[in-house]
Amino acid sequence: MNYQAPVKTTLLELRNLHTDFQTSTGTVKAVDGVSFAIERGERVAVVGESGSGKSAMAMSILRLLTHPGKVAGGEVLLDGRDISRLSEGQLNAIRGRLVGTVFQDPMSSLDPVMRISKQMIEPIMRNLRLNREQAREEAIKWLGKVGIPEPERRIEAYPFEMSGGMRQRVMIAMALSSRPQLVIADEPTTALDVTIQAQIVEVLKTLTEESGAAMLFITHDLGLVARFAHKVAVMYAGRIVEFGRVEDIFASPAHPYTQSLLGTIPSTAMLKSERLPQIPGLPPDMRFPITGCAFKERCAAAHDRCCVEAPRLSQCGIDHTAACWAPHGLGEGATLKAERPDRPNRPFEPDGSVVVELNALWKQFDTSRKMVVRAVNGVNLRVHKGETLGIVGESGCGKSTIARLLLGLEKPTSGDIFIAGLAQMVFQDPASSFNPKMTIGGIVAEPLVVRAHGSKPERKEAVRRLISQVGLDPAFAERYPHQLSGGQRQRVAVARALALNPSVVVADEPTSALDVSVRAQIINLLVDLKQELGISFVFISHDLLTVRYIADRIAVMYLGEVVEYGAAEEVFADPRHPYTKALIDAVPVPDPAIESRRTSTPLQGELPSPLNLPTGCAFASRCPMATDRCRAEKPALPTHDLARQVACHYAS
Amino acid sequence: MAEYAAKKLAQMLITVLGVITLVFFTLRLIPGDAASAMAGDTLSGEALQVLRDQMGLDEPLISQYLGFLRDLAMIDLGETITTRIPIADLLLRALPITLSIAMATIVLSIVISIPLGTLAAFMAHKGRNWLDNGLTGAAMIIDLMPSFWTALVLLLIFSLGLGWFPASGQLNWNNPGSVALRLALPVIVLSLSQVATLARITRTAVLEVLNEDYVRTARSMGWSEMRVLFRHALKNAALPIATVVGLSFGNLLGGTVIVEFIFTIPGVGNLLIAGINSRDYQLVQTLIVLYALLFVVINFTTDLIYKTLDPRVQF
Amino acid sequence: MADLSLPATPTRKPSLLAVGSAIARHRFLSHPKVRLALVLLVPILLLTIFAPVLPMQKPLETNLRAMMQFPSIEHVFGTDKMGRDIFSRTLAGVQISLLVGFSVAAIALVFGMVLGTLAGFYGGMIDRAIMTVVDIFLAFPSLLLAIGLVSVMGTGIVPVILAISLADVPRFIRLQRSQVLSLRSRAFIDAARTVDASQYWLMTRHIVPNTLAAMLVAASIAAANAILVEASLSFLGLGIMPPQPSLGNIVRDGQTYLEQAWWISTLPGVVILLIAVGLHFLSDGVRELLDPRSR
Repeated sequence: MNYQAPVKTTLLELRNLHTDFQTSTGTVKAVDGVSFAIERGERVAVVGESGSGKSAMAMSILRLLTHPGKVAGGEVLLDGRDISRLSEGQLNAIRGRLVGTVFQDPMSSLDPVMRISKQMIEPIMRNLRLNREQAREEAIKWLGKVGIPEPERRIEAYPFEMSGGMRQRVMIAMALSSRPQLVIADEPTTALDVTIQAQIVEVLKTLTEESGAAMLFITHDLGLVARFAHKVAVMYAGRIVEFGRVEDIFASPAHPYTQSLLGTIPSTAMLKSERLPQIPGLPPDMRFPITGCAFKERCAAAHDRCCVEAPRLSQCGIDHTAACWAPHGLGEGATLKAERPDRPNRPFEPDGSVVVELNALWKQFDTSRKMVVRAVNGVNLRVHKGETLGIVGESGCGKSTIARLLLGLEKPTSGDIFIAGLAQMVFQDPASSFNPKMTIGGIVAEPLVVRAHGSKPERKEAVRRLISQVGLDPAFAERYPHQLSGGQRQRVAVARALALNPSVVVADEPTSALDVSVRAQIINLLVDLKQELGISFVFISHDLLTVRYIADRIAVMYLGEVVEYGAAEEVFADPRHPYTKALIDAVPVPDPAIESRRTSTPLQGELPSPLNLPTGCAFASRCPMATDRCRAEKPALPTHDLARQVACHYAS
Repeated sequence: MAEYAAKKLAQMLITVLGVITLVFFTLRLIPGDAASAMAGDTLSGEALQVLRDQMGLDEPLISQYLGFLRDLAMIDLGETITTRIPIADLLLRALPITLSIAMATIVLSIVISIPLGTLAAFMAHKGRNWLDNGLTGAAMIIDLMPSFWTALVLLLIFSLGLGWFPASGQLNWNNPGSVALRLALPVIVLSLSQVATLARITRTAVLEVLNEDYVRTARSMGWSEMRVLFRHALKNAALPIATVVGLSFGNLLGGTVIVEFIFTIPGVGNLLIAGINSRDYQLVQTLIVLYALLFVVINFTTDLIYKTLDPRVQF
Repeated sequence: MADLSLPATPTRKPSLLAVGSAIARHRFLSHPKVRLALVLLVPILLLTIFAPVLPMQKPLETNLRAMMQFPSIEHVFGTDKMGRDIFSRTLAGVQISLLVGFSVAAIALVFGMVLGTLAGFYGGMIDRAIMTVVDIFLAFPSLLLAIGLVSVMGTGIVPVILAISLADVPRFIRLQRSQVLSLRSRAFIDAARTVDASQYWLMTRHIVPNTLAAMLVAASIAAANAILVEASLSFLGLGIMPPQPSLGNIVRDGQTYLEQAWWISTLPGVVILLIAVGLHFLSDGVRELLDPRSR
């Protein structure tokens, strides 16, 4: 990183900030004494998992918390002035003017019944003291800057007429149009697809750099941090456990939590035989007081002192502090080691038998307006025995429809599906995939009961075996889904999918609803099961790093078509389709060195509507190398006997 | 827009046709027939036959039904069977009275309930629950008071006790002041339960909107609480509130029957009860269809307004 | 494989049912709204049950020497123009009210559950047929529908129950249908479908158990509402006819003597209100207990 700190003047300083949520079951100390500073023009990222207090902390700065959240103590110094004691009226002079805010969910963050113009122009008039025409000019200028095409026309649109990415651009334009000195961005890209995410990050980065605004960026994605931030604050259980420059945090993390977190992300160089390091257990329940270090139960380096006294942030390098009794956390230069030895390195050898075969599969949905959504357009795929096929693509590419077709939950419009044996599914959302009125035992047993497998005691035994097979205590059989954490529920989902000895398990984004530290547990579980049981997997995800790690073969989908297919390593090492290249480029890698060398601009534009697909190549509208031939003639994917298939006229 | 309205209108017409059919055939389900039910034991066989002929009961059911439809379509409401007064004349006198009570109630209850509900939601959102709890509790109890009982209690206190409002007497439209005094208690009785319902709905709708992300966005832009409340929260909450106003109009129509009965006001409700008591099925079926028609039209209108207000609905 | 066996605190279970119901009873009884509801409803229920053996005048018995008497120890709610005991008549009326309330709730629950589930689950023609009829019924304001039906079916308790039920069933169908529709797309239904679970299995194991709570809550509100509608009908002279007492017709009887004997009309009305409030607190409490977020 060639970041040179500008003249060091502190813009924002938090001193011992406390935020409480009064709930019926007790006081949750969501933010429990946070102190750090942001210099002018500096981008500080706050990373942490859900419940770590990172959003509550960010919202506390301008007191945007709603009841029952309340700032319980501490100081917030903006330009040396304590704004935590200001009245609402005085604070309103700062909100939107000195400090702009961008929120997580663009779909719900704009007033649905108000035109963009109305939501943008009035704050500009107030903050910059302009008349209506000037403010309108200004608003249009900003909409143009954030990359909204035809801003003069789009300014009169309602939010629902725009895509999520466009709405987030509007939010950014709103936040920046009053020339704030600080922008607080609370997970601004979490709800967006990876190529759109890359665009938004680029817009935020360029525009704040241009205006010299500092930024506080809240995220759970370590890759984004590496791409974006000057400094990083790692939060755990309401406190900052490590703070420092981004290069230092990634190169020599000092807190065991940071070290573990960095270890759980599959890196591009990782071999399949290596197990993902995983953090055991769950974050602490914030309703109860914590004695000692909050991370001690999950920490390999915990010792007696950690159970008694909570460590404070202490210097461990230049501009680098960590809250751990051990000076180097788990050890010098260490990241978390896997708990179990690596798997025997069994390279994938297909024995030739095909478990799943999709032939010229088409699926269309009729909408109410007599239009046809073409979700899957002529897909041919094969999955061999014991093989994991990863399907990647952005939302709307048809990957989930393929899953539903495979499971027989939808009927194909044309084409056929062959499955040797039974297909079972692990669903994305662990909250809705279980009947809340059934016990875990009943849920796992359901496939056996429906298919009348075995006697009652036999089924009971099978349930015990299945539950322990996915790494849970058999006593879980008597619990109800709402008593389980997200990771535990996803284990149960796997157990249910295995009950009938399926030949293939389809997993549709099985880890996307889970926290980073739990994600690795589930991925390891799936990989282990695959090796032990020889089941085939279809793993559907937008998370390319995970797919690369878990899949033997990859199919990249765009607008209902497979545009590239091949062995996972090959596709990643040498992507041939321009879309695959763009996707891999867009994925933030948790390594500031790689990120700072990144030169290519993110893929432009958005997914065309599946209502009127282009006649030529589906990707032509966004492809940097598209020619007239691409727009006129559709490139076909070669027949499926080839190990590597690319649907592009110009793929060499 | 026009297409949507036409579709809705067609739907409404089907419902109205269904209502008319239902009313017609239900009334023909009476054991024996309408004539003997009306007459009870008072008429001889011959007189009963005359009555039957008058009512057209000996015609085939289907031609009776078509005749009923034709008459309704031509707004020929016929005459009352017992007194031979054109039903249209009766309605012309009764309907304005009932509608004035209903309209006055709607206006009064909206004016009171929306600010009250908004305030309660706002305070609950801030974590100050006393007004909210008080309002919710009071609204529930008021809502559950039988309206005939409330009417009697208010009559007892304000008319018989304090003598503020006349309890009976002619409605003299030449003296609007006296009419207002005469209709005041009925309107208050009906408004009580309407306010209870609407304030509760407003409270829920506004509270829900206050938790929306876009309200937080507005606050993050530095707008004052009041501006956020009125420009964003109330505007978004108006949509669900409008629907409920339309639906609660139905309860209001039921309520007018009771207050007209208690306060002896010559509106449609009293006409209905008189019709039932004299077993005048011609009158009863006309009135029931009329009530349903009113209710359907009101809901159609609120639905259309709702859809026009919401930019997300595309026609 | 169970390398990171996550322990679950073992639960003892002498008899799962007994333990479950004990916990349920305990939680049920300790809920403040439920308690308030029971405080209101239990005494009324007990008095109604034991009314025949209580030392007071029978509901229909007249006493011309004690006409229009002010409430006293002997006549808690006073007497009417024929010297009948209002309290004893009120208790007899409550009996009718409760009978009407529970019958209507039960009828609405059963029909709403069956027809709503069918409409929501199967969709298509069945749905359209059921919902067309439902929409026609919903075009009538409910009190007016009840008035209309009673005018056809005549007076008395059975017609009243049928009339009010007919007005309520469409609302229950709609509620159940919307619940089924939102459940139908849940992933656990999909999971069961992937093992080819029968439609009967889906409905009985997954859909009905998850809709029951909301329907029970709606049923207890419907019971309160039915009691109010019955009273209104009887008050208008269209429901339960004198001399048989009902809360509505007692109030109607007293209306003429409002100035001389206010207690005849007002006191029975208070009892209606107490029952309705009690039922509402009960449904509120049940709803809060069944809402997983409140756990």
